[in-house]
Amino acid sequence: MLKKKKIPEAAIPTSSMADIAFLLLLFFLVATVIDVDTGLGLTLPEYVPPEEMVTVKVDPDRMASVLINENGDVLIDGDFVSILQIKNTIKPRIEKKIGLPSNKKMIVSLKTDRKTVYKQYIAALDQIKLAFFEVRDELSNSRFGKKFIDLNAEQQEVIKEEVPIIISLAEPEVVK
Amino acid sequence: MHFEKRRASTKQEIPTSSMPDIVFMLLLFFMVTTTLREVEVYVDYKLPEAQAIEKIENKRLISYIWVGRDKRIQINDSIVQFDEIEKIMYSKRQALPNVIVSLRIDQGIDMGLVTDIQQALRKAYCLRINYSATLRI
Repeated sequence: MLKKKKIPEAAIPTSSMADIAFLLLLFFLVATVIDVDTGLGLTLPEYVPPEEMVTVKVDPDRMASVLINENGDVLIDGDFVSILQIKNTIKPRIEKKIGLPSNKKMIVSLKTDRKTVYKQYIAALDQIKLAFFEVRDELSNSRFGKKFIDLNAEQQEVIKEEVPIIISLAEPEVVK
Repeated sequence: MHFEKRRASTKQEIPTSSMPDIVFMLLLFFMVTTTLREVEVYVDYKLPEAQAIEKIENKRLISYIWVGRDKRIQINDSIVQFDEIEKIMYSKRQALPNVIVSLRIDQGIDMGLVTDIQQALRKAYCLRINYSATLRI
């Protein structure tokens, strides 16, 4: 009688597979840079050659001009404020313009000296944007009961129309 | 009195055979999301901080301009002169009409240089810009 030979079990040892996978995982974890680009968005005006420039008179009530000098001192419509006060100074003025037609909305003009430090310019721009965002948030809260970012696209359009962000960068003066 | 130990008759083991699968899944996720840095930045810069920052949704549209502490300007992979910006950015705009220019400028730079770069961008018709900033907590 032939006895069947016992076949030894043929298996690949897989116990260390997890370790290998963990090593690979660690490598990619370390090497990953989930790099989100964040920043303050802005749309520049089109370039117009100096000789074709036209000056348009704007109602001073519609306009807040923010000036920053080289020491970081801020002047809003002639009043001296600190950078962190810009938001609270501008906010009520934006709110006043909510019901008005689109050609009467608030314009914030930002102008700096050539020697102003970039950091201060960003801080001021940040304050202005914050003012607009807060007004938007409050308006969408009262109209739809939600924050601006949680609204759907249609509702966002409504709010955007009500509170447009108009930031005007002053035309740089010619350096002599 | 003799107490009998009550022990469940089932095996007390955590099944680990599916662990590699789970780990591989995680691994795959990270492999897919990893972007190995494609450009090397030569300039040294520290971004300003801001609160009202937004994310740029479409990463493909972004084109960067770096300005370092020493006022050197980098576009793409090389340091460029100021006069070249307009030309380079114009050709970028030709290739990608709705390009967003992300300005990664050191926080200590004078506004004069920033304004000049902005003027160059306006001439090159790259009007959508983004001042890169980190979130202030």
